[in-house]
Amino acid sequence: MRRFFSLILASMLLFNLNAYAQQVHIDIEASGFRKMKVAMPSYAGPGDMAGSVWAMCARDLALSGLFDVISPQSYVNPGPLGEVQQASLKDFSLIGADYVIAATVSKQGSSGLFKVQMVEVSTGQIIENTTFTSGEQTMYMAVHAFMDHILPSKFGLDPIFSSKIACIKKEKGIKQLHVMFCDGTGGNTIKGGGELVLSPAWSRDGKKIAFVSYWRNNPDLYLLDLASYNVRSISARKGINTSPAFDSTGARIGLTLSGDGNPEIYLINFDGTGKTRLTTSYATDTSPSFSMDGKSMVFCSSRAGNPQIFIMELTTKNVRRLTYEGKYNSEPVFSPRGDLVVFSSLAANGKYYIATIKTDSTNLRVLPGTGLGDESPAFSPDGRLIAFAGADGNIYITDLLGTISVPITAGGGFSEPSWSPPMK
Amino acid sequence: MSRTIRFVYTLMILCTVLFSLGCPKQSLEPVATEIAKPQPQTQTETTKEQPDMKMETLEAGQGAGTTKGKGALEQVRVDFENTDIFFEYDSFNLTIEAKKILAEKTGFLNSHSTIKVRIEGNCDERGTPEYNLALGERRAKAAQDYLVFLGIALERLATVSYGEEKPIDGGHTEAAWAKNRRAHFAILGE
Repeated sequence: MRRFFSLILASMLLFNLNAYAQQVHIDIEASGFRKMKVAMPSYAGPGDMAGSVWAMCARDLALSGLFDVISPQSYVNPGPLGEVQQASLKDFSLIGADYVIAATVSKQGSSGLFKVQMVEVSTGQIIENTTFTSGEQTMYMAVHAFMDHILPSKFGLDPIFSSKIACIKKEKGIKQLHVMFCDGTGGNTIKGGGELVLSPAWSRDGKKIAFVSYWRNNPDLYLLDLASYNVRSISARKGINTSPAFDSTGARIGLTLSGDGNPEIYLINFDGTGKTRLTTSYATDTSPSFSMDGKSMVFCSSRAGNPQIFIMELTTKNVRRLTYEGKYNSEPVFSPRGDLVVFSSLAANGKYYIATIKTDSTNLRVLPGTGLGDESPAFSPDGRLIAFAGADGNIYITDLLGTISVPITAGGGFSEPSWSPPMK
Repeated sequence: MSRTIRFVYTLMILCTVLFSLGCPKQSLEPVATEIAKPQPQTQTETTKEQPDMKMETLEAGQGAGTTKGKGALEQVRVDFENTDIFFEYDSFNLTIEAKKILAEKTGFLNSHSTIKVRIEGNCDERGTPEYNLALGERRAKAAQDYLVFLGIALERLATVSYGEEKPIDGGHTEAAWAKNRRAHFAILGE
């Protein structure tokens, strides 16, 4: 899938310079962080197209974790569509807006243009005035380009909207790989891996996905090359070959094998050779995740009597228990920043929630999520957001404080999200 | 059972044994598999490669209570396959009832000494997918260990874990979960 889009920077240099000088630095994790409120009147342009681009942009603003879009019903006098009127800024100020975004969507041959203005309400300063172009059918690319332009240049955050999420999609009883952008757009189901595919894991370079398939009637590990769509069997040992995770170098894969008696965690090379055993316990050990600094691995083990999260120092193989709250903590994933571990946790009400904890066992935080049962968390490449699977079979995005729970799929059948590294 | 199907089974078992040896050359071998590019409805070559094996496996895996068997032998086979053992929540310990059923199964296995069985470990939907794959494996292994303890040759007993992927009851109640925490016994062939 090679789509390209061009980006036309029409903004005036003067505005850009001003904007950089006033770049906002935000500590989103600091308690008391107030999201920036955005007023976004309807976009100008052909009805359907303008409406759908508006909705995509509103969702991406929300799932960035940075913005609240104020309900359009409360706009007093938005002015003419497509541009921000200085005269209407006072009205937007009254409803508490920090920014106003106005845009015009139009077609040009088979291309679609997304001309977008973003104005700071308090100063009246135009901080973005750019036209983004993509295919008419792939307007989400233009929206991603806009988001990935303002996040780093105006708000000091990493661009994330070119990153992807791999997950499992169940359709007519068959579970297959599904790959989409991190806001759910541009999704493709990858057929042909058999009838039961599980546990996708992105390689560190974003070019491959490891997954479990019952192709040979056993949970074996395979590696999909996203450029060629070739699949290679990398571990088909007796017993389970499950829960893949790439190590910090990206050269080796951690996985669960049970051939030596009970489920233990091992590292192997891409070609399946060089099996190195990491855990030794009579209990069940599974779901490894490796820190980017190469020093530690978190995993799930029942060695304390029920599933809990443990952390191993890889050089010494010393193991320390991380979680003590609750009777079922599993599926740990290391934050790319290295300070946090996210996992799913069974609460007293019988539902699973996504929770985070620091690697020193402090600051346990249970995220509200959907409240219906949330599983299989995955960190965004910048470690600021978490994708997870809700009990309704949709993938959601939340942030580290749990202030949002934005669905990126609809219709159900989705599970086990894995978030790619940063993509170009 | 036709000779062709027997041949397919033999091939399959051979493959399983080869892989179970963990011989690096085997696991290294690239699958001649090209996953279809993600255009919808593309049939891949791999999908067609072993369709017979897949179909047979699915039938067996679902317990196929639909009695095709006409003779007495067929009926004991169906009974053998349709009698699952059940587990407590998050446990792979064999209950007294499970041990009793396993002991009964040795009767059939001893009187049909060439039959091979795949023990399929399953979990209820609670718990998370990866942990349940490991738990299902331990359930299948626990049943296998006990059958070996009762004198059945290990070579006749394959195991596979389906984790929470193949519930027999799709409900979300304790009764449904109890049915899904099971090991199922599929006859592979002779």
